[in-house]
Amino acid sequence: MANRGYDVVVDVDAEGDLGHTDLQEDLEFHSSNFEDPQNRNKIQPDTASSFLNNGSSTRGHTSTKRLLWTIQFYAQFFDVDTAEVVKRCWAALYPRANFLDVLEGNPDLYGPFWIATTVVFILFMTGTISWKLASSGVEHYSYDFSLLSGAAGLIYGYTLIIPILLWATLKWFGSESANLLECWALYGYANLIWIPVALISWSPISILNYIFVGIGFGVSALFLFRNLYPVLSATDVRTSKILLIVVVALHAALAIAIKFLFFS
Amino acid sequence: MAAMLPSGQTSHDMRIESDLIDPDGADLDDLDDPLQPSNTTDRTPLTGNIGQAPSSSSSRNTQSYLSSQIPGEDRRAPTNTIDESVWDTLSRDLKAVWGKMRQVLWPKYLLGGMLVRGGGGVAGEAERGEHSGANAGAIRDVLGRWPDADTVLQGSMNEGMRDWDLWGPLLFSLLLSFLLSRGAQDDQKAAVFSGVFAMVWIGSAVVTFQIKLLGGSVSFFQSVGIIGYTLFPLVIAALLSSFNLWMIARIPVYIVLVAWSLAAGISILGGSGVVRNRVGIAVYPLFVFYVGLGALCFIT
Repeated sequence: MANRGYDVVVDVDAEGDLGHTDLQEDLEFHSSNFEDPQNRNKIQPDTASSFLNNGSSTRGHTSTKRLLWTIQFYAQFFDVDTAEVVKRCWAALYPRANFLDVLEGNPDLYGPFWIATTVVFILFMTGTISWKLASSGVEHYSYDFSLLSGAAGLIYGYTLIIPILLWATLKWFGSESANLLECWALYGYANLIWIPVALISWSPISILNYIFVGIGFGVSALFLFRNLYPVLSATDVRTSKILLIVVVALHAALAIAIKFLFFS
Repeated sequence: MAAMLPSGQTSHDMRIESDLIDPDGADLDDLDDPLQPSNTTDRTPLTGNIGQAPSSSSSRNTQSYLSSQIPGEDRRAPTNTIDESVWDTLSRDLKAVWGKMRQVLWPKYLLGGMLVRGGGGVAGEAERGEHSGANAGAIRDVLGRWPDADTVLQGSMNEGMRDWDLWGPLLFSLLLSFLLSRGAQDDQKAAVFSGVFAMVWIGSAVVTFQIKLLGGSVSFFQSVGIIGYTLFPLVIAALLSSFNLWMIARIPVYIVLVAWSLAAGISILGGSGVVRNRVGIAVYPLFVFYVGLGALCFIT
């Protein structure tokens, strides 16, 4: 290639890397809107005009205006539609691909919150039925309301706090790819298996309940393990092993708590 | 111009006012003053209320601050409310609650009049049908007219709930908490009462926020009010539970009652502007809310 008469010489090397050219200086101050959550919208909001003024300048302007107390700020965490939620639920029950790939960089909080709520109510109901069947000799059985608060505390607490701890630990060990929303989505969708488990384990037969809760634990722990392993292995080998063991142990604690609080 | 006014009291007031206000500066605000309907300037046509004016002037003066004349603010209180009996006041509010409840729950208005139009839900394949296929289709056949997303969105909000109130929600949440706490264990009555009360209010707030977060533009308190009014079937369920209805008989009855509540509650979404393919996940929180409370009634 004759490079006389040109201002800029683009040196394309084997990897197609443009990093060593003079163009670098021009690219330096362009703000990246790669992280902008608006760009990940698959569903445009109802104001259809956003197709028209799609320029990056207005984009940057509106995203800074999303303050913490406006409802639009939180609406970006619920940017899903029905088909997407159903797809994610299937992906959580029958994991074929990595769940973080299914999320496509758009983790939602809809699934975690409402799956947790559903699990709370179903655990309460089936727990009550289980207790009632166990105490069938009693003349007038009245339900135990503390089961509901117990279920709410257990499920909401587990789904809310453990991902925060995990995320903080990952940040502490210097992982760049850790994302709190993805942790929440992961744990939230992992709860989905407890719905069918709770629906079938209301019977007073103890051995069946052990098997069902064991299946639930196995499926969700495998799900967590598969999806957390690539993230955790960003740290060094020893800490990632310890973290994985801790995650699985905490999940086992959840399963045991569910077994003995509701189906004993 | 104050001499046109028949009553001495009013004309005196008017004279003071016309002294204070420069007549040239009189603008539309003076003309629109609702408390002085007989306000006049040179441009107002001469209207006569000579006959009844002296008798009505005193009542008009009391009306001006004892009862509201601003449209939309009153609860069917056209006249002076200081003289009526307490029962009249209460019954008027109860009638307002009853009227709103009928508007929300009467089958004619359910789902924004969808049940009257009928059948439209079956023709269009809803978003649900596209994804879960034969299963949802079978369920829809069983239910007959299962409303699809478009029908839900086209249903208009009940006109009566445009001026919402929270009396119905308060009444029904208290009744529900009371009835459910009666059936609880002796040492848990207080916990059940407060728990159900909090569940109703926090639940309706969370459901409303969820709809707003999904892009719906519903008025917050209007939505909470409608959800509160739709608790009425669940109050019936709780009442049946407190009469120790037989457990097997509860199942069909309560399913019908919960479905009634849910069908009424979905009318929040009418005209809210939720995107069509999000209607399913906007309805699901309502479903969880009603089914949860219905289940609580069931086991009581």
